Amino acid sequence: MIEYIVRRLIFGIFVLLIMTAFIFIIMRAVPGDVVTLQLANSGATAEQMDALKAEMGLDKSVLGQLIDWIKDAVQGNLGNSLWSGQQVSEIILDRLPVTIQLAVMSIVLAIIIGIPIGVISAVKQNTFIDHFLKVISIGGLSIPNFWLGLILLTVLSLALNWIPPLGYQSFMENPFVNMQQMFLPAICLAITLSASIVRMTRSAVLEVLHSEFIRTVRAKGAKEGIVIFKHALRNSLVSVITLIGLQIGYLLGGTVVLESIFALPGLGSLIFESVLVRDYPIVQSTVLVFGAMFLLVNLVVDVMYGWVDPRIRAK
Amino acid sequence: MSQVQLDSELPNRRIKAGRNLHLKKFIEDCKRFIITQKIGFVSLLIILIVVAVAIIAPIIAPFDPISQDRAAFLAAPNSQHVMGTDDLGRDVFSRLVYGSRISLLVGIVTVVISIILGTLIGMISGYFGGIVDMIIQRIMDAIMSVPALILALFIAALLGPAIQNVIIALVIIEVPRFSRIVRGEMLRIRESNFVEASRSVGASSFRIIMKHGLPNMMAPIIVMASLAFGQTIIAEASLSFLGIGTPPPNPSWGLMLSDASMYMESAPWLVLFPGLALSILVLAFNLFGDALRDFLDPKMS
Repeated sequence: MIEYIVRRLIFGIFVLLIMTAFIFIIMRAVPGDVVTLQLANSGATAEQMDALKAEMGLDKSVLGQLIDWIKDAVQGNLGNSLWSGQQVSEIILDRLPVTIQLAVMSIVLAIIIGIPIGVISAVKQNTFIDHFLKVISIGGLSIPNFWLGLILLTVLSLALNWIPPLGYQSFMENPFVNMQQMFLPAICLAITLSASIVRMTRSAVLEVLHSEFIRTVRAKGAKEGIVIFKHALRNSLVSVITLIGLQIGYLLGGTVVLESIFALPGLGSLIFESVLVRDYPIVQSTVLVFGAMFLLVNLVVDVMYGWVDPRIRAK
Repeated sequence: MSQVQLDSELPNRRIKAGRNLHLKKFIEDCKRFIITQKIGFVSLLIILIVVAVAIIAPIIAPFDPISQDRAAFLAAPNSQHVMGTDDLGRDVFSRLVYGSRISLLVGIVTVVISIILGTLIGMISGYFGGIVDMIIQRIMDAIMSVPALILALFIAALLGPAIQNVIIALVIIEVPRFSRIVRGEMLRIRESNFVEASRSVGASSFRIIMKHGLPNMMAPIIVMASLAFGQTIIAEASLSFLGIGTPPPNPSWGLMLSDASMYMESAPWLVLFPGLALSILVLAFNLFGDALRDFLDPKMS
């Protein structure tokens, strides 16, 4: 098992390296850099701009910059923001908890909504209820999450005259305010995710319900409730966990728009703000942190298989 | 002389007969699809209606989508402006009608280019295997390891707001997904008996790919394309919403929602209609893709 995890980690680092190179090349291939942007209207001469670029290391070749960056990154130094001068690692660590909290809340909400509906769909297979839930769940997949956010905000402010409290506060500072700020964006992300959980749970439960061992369980005279909750549901957990691993990319991407709408200072809004002003070090590191989170979650998912399903552990 | 003519006509006739057979089979498949997949058929109709609206937009739209009417800004829906007007006095209904062109254009161009590139890359990777496959797949892994919207945001923001840049960003995201499917199918087909048979009678690699590879992977590609359509349309709207997609004053639905977010309380209809249009179109593509999957691969349902 440990050998497997190590192998996956090495593979992940390799993938992140390719990603870094990819991002580096794209960023440098596009016209317009931070110095030109910053000093566009300041009347600085070309020499002054070149001097500043040299100071920032922007005058070296792309490959040289890439190697410099990797050397520093390995030592934990992700560079400084080109605008504020603050350390990138500090900025990211500051904002990471917001995004993680948002993602975790969405996943939990999605499971709470998705699994029961999926089980109902499977039990009532091919009835009106099943078809109705199918359209509803695909509907959930089709609604853009930012529109859902706007609609919720509009309805709540018009009907109840309520808007989320302004000025972000972390859960430690003020759990009550924090929950009011986080709940709406989490629901918006959770609805799309729960829609795919419904589909997955339904087909997984159906597959189990049609298998031989369930017939045996039924033949023994087990109640329908036990058949579904103890056997069918447990056996379908593997596919639901896989799905969450696959959907984590969507979830992290969704944080960009939702954090912007709900004014949450997370990684999503950070990357959005930085990309607009070409703050290379921040963008680069944030994309990599997102990539690393994605790979890590999928590693955890693969390890969890063995925990949920002893048959896989045996292999 | 007549003998020669006959000889040269014979294969032609055979090809024609073969085409008729394909057409007949296609029509029969369509009939079967309508009967067995009612939800899918309704979705297809919705998609076709939106396509029609996009094509004849100038006839349907009562106003110019860009021209401003300062006298009638933020008007609530009324008999003249059925969906009201926005903050610059532009008719929301007309913008919505023209906006369908942007969504469909981005969707079609992105999906078509992604299918072509993805299929090409996937086939090369799956057919040759070995080191070629390894290198290509690691690059695809790297692209897919970054959340799609974040990569799109990154590329679109760097390239600047323009429709073609949105398309480039979305293609980069979609290509690995298509290539992954095609590669998987290719690996499966490579091991199958009929490919081995045609190789043993001396068919070239190219011929095997074109003759056996492509037709066998059409089903998964079509299903994937329909679902990718929905994702692409949402992605375009998200990027435009963030202000790095389709540039103003184009009537992109995402851009309309972005403008609307400032007038949520005073003009809620601005939030309602573009989102509704977006959701219905994406829903139609998703339901259609779902129905196609059930239809083409009965094992799945």
